[in-house]
Amino acid sequence: MRRLGLVAMREMREGLRSKTFLITTAITILIVAAIVVVPRLLEGGADHYTVGLVGDGGAEIVDAAVRLGNANVEDGDEPAVEIETTTFATREEAIAALESGDVGVVLVDDSEVVVQTLGITGSGVTSLLQQAAAARALEQALEEHGEVAAVVIETLTSDPLEVSTPQGDDEAGGSERFLVAQAGMFLLYMAVLVYGSWILTGVTEEKSSRVVEVLLSAVHPWQLLGGKVLGIGTLGLAQFVITILVALGAIRYAGIEIPSLDPILIANLVLWFVLGFLVFAVLFGAAGSLASRTEDAQGVAMPMSMIAVAGLFLSFAVLEDPDGTLAVVGSLIPLTAPFVVPVRVAMDSIPGWQFILAVAIALVGIGLLVRVAGRIYSGALLRIGTRTKLREAWRGADQ
Amino acid sequence: MIVNLTRPMLVFEDLHKSYGDIRALDGCSFQVAPGRMLGFLGPNGAGKTTAMRTVFGLVRPDSGRVLWNGDPVEKETASRFGYMPEQRGLYPKMRIRDMLVYVGRLHGMSNTAAGNSADLWLERLGLTERALDRVEALSHGNQQRVQLAAALVHDPDVMLLDEPFSGLDPIAVDTMSEILRDAARLGKAVVFSSHQLDLVEDLCDDVAIIHKGRVVVEGDVKALKEASPYRRLEIDFDGEIGELTRSIDGIHDISSLDGHHRLTVDAGTDIRPFLARAQDSGHLRSFSYTAPSLSDLFREAVG
Repeated sequence: MRRLGLVAMREMREGLRSKTFLITTAITILIVAAIVVVPRLLEGGADHYTVGLVGDGGAEIVDAAVRLGNANVEDGDEPAVEIETTTFATREEAIAALESGDVGVVLVDDSEVVVQTLGITGSGVTSLLQQAAAARALEQALEEHGEVAAVVIETLTSDPLEVSTPQGDDEAGGSERFLVAQAGMFLLYMAVLVYGSWILTGVTEEKSSRVVEVLLSAVHPWQLLGGKVLGIGTLGLAQFVITILVALGAIRYAGIEIPSLDPILIANLVLWFVLGFLVFAVLFGAAGSLASRTEDAQGVAMPMSMIAVAGLFLSFAVLEDPDGTLAVVGSLIPLTAPFVVPVRVAMDSIPGWQFILAVAIALVGIGLLVRVAGRIYSGALLRIGTRTKLREAWRGADQ
Repeated sequence: MIVNLTRPMLVFEDLHKSYGDIRALDGCSFQVAPGRMLGFLGPNGAGKTTAMRTVFGLVRPDSGRVLWNGDPVEKETASRFGYMPEQRGLYPKMRIRDMLVYVGRLHGMSNTAAGNSADLWLERLGLTERALDRVEALSHGNQQRVQLAAALVHDPDVMLLDEPFSGLDPIAVDTMSEILRDAARLGKAVVFSSHQLDLVEDLCDDVAIIHKGRVVVEGDVKALKEASPYRRLEIDFDGEIGELTRSIDGIHDISSLDGHHRLTVDAGTDIRPFLARAQDSGHLRSFSYTAPSLSDLFREAVG
């Protein structure tokens, strides 16, 4: 255990010292922060429009349009739509202002909307004005019925039907769980690819620089492999956690509300993140030992990357059919379980016994993988030259 | 083989190892005692590297074993040995002092002890000022020195060095020789393989010559030379050599070049008549009569 720890410590210390690690960490953090904060800064609160008015009836339509645009805004909150109006004496003056960009849209009487170009720009205010005009026409038609008009407007702007599930989740809560599970799967996929290939090149470098024979004269191959997985894994998880914390901080700074999440769901995601990471890290380590040069390493690791991609797609399929055969089988294979089980947990569709069985199989699977990978590792590490074939490595372990 | 259990000893006991049809080791047996330096000789592919790797569990023999003080060598035991593999290698990006401390700690040293030892070795090898440089920044020669330090940093009881002199310049050869001599003087068992037979003859107390996976000659260098059934007779002689050689029996081989003649004779031969006649002729310029060199023994053993 002491030597395993020494190997892990070296990986962490050298990793922290490497410029590549520090630079990628910094860049990742900046990108994550930028993705969250920048759109918020650019957004700048309400949609702001300028409308030029010519003739009669325009002012009422604009009032109605503002009311319509802000129909879903609670009292006391910032308005979602603001419209600034300028009145012109003639149509020509108004068109001139439109062309010079002083106003975005010109409303002539209560019957015509003139825009600079037909297209996406300005369509927001255009459609608002159209709806407002229609509502206004309806209001006028219903004028003699007085209160009925108010009822019609009220009804048109009321909340949609509520949707819920038999488990008692309302729609909002369910989609949050769904999103969190999906985000978790995507993070696992990213971590497997990024830190997996880190382990891969680390092992290949040991082999290509031939330092491995000195190391193996003092430590067992499984200690070298295990220490590497633990060291790089810890460093990678730390980088990952920092990135996520920065993202959460940025979200808070940007004023986006973070939904409160079920702690069991989060614990489940973390558990399967660690299990999934271990499975793939060990596999990538074994793959790295088969390559003699860094250039060969990615090719050797291709099957592993493919499995991770397949796992991610499987998690999408399981979202569609969380109780199907595919979902059950996927839960019981250590390579795919990390992508399948958390999704099923989030959707409340995995029986307890399957969950426990899946964890047990994954743990036993990792134990077996370490032994198998350790054997491949020890058989392949001292074979310099071309790519070592899997079978040669397996047999080579006896030599 | 008789194993003397009263003295500590590294014993290679009847090692066999085959790779498919190739027999890398075929009953390889020899031993080395503390305070002795053993030259491990053999043609390329004779099994030297395989035998050394066996000690560290890098190669698992089909049969036979390696013993230290009478006990089979396990990973724990081997961590008190020092190994310099034929294929040199260090972490290119690591600072050399960190590299040495790491190797020392893997061999069971405390952080402090490994640090002190690394500093001592860096000083001895003239690398103190480079302690914080990365391995890849060093010249080839200096990397070799760090490699040697990595084999010795944990003050091993046994040193196994695979071709430690290959690729060294004459100054570095002297440094390496001195370090190995000191180690043996301090009571360590030192084994190294080499093709530089003159060097081995100078340095080593013992030799083991391996051929086709089997040790064919083993023992004290001087004793082996004395025990040879042949002697070497070398003369510088300007006259007719053919007439001289008829003066004695037991001459096996003559090679001549520009008046320098090398003769192989039976060890028991009385060469005085030969010498007397050569002197009488007035053409003799120099004369030597010696036991065969290690090169001669080597050629005879593997030829």
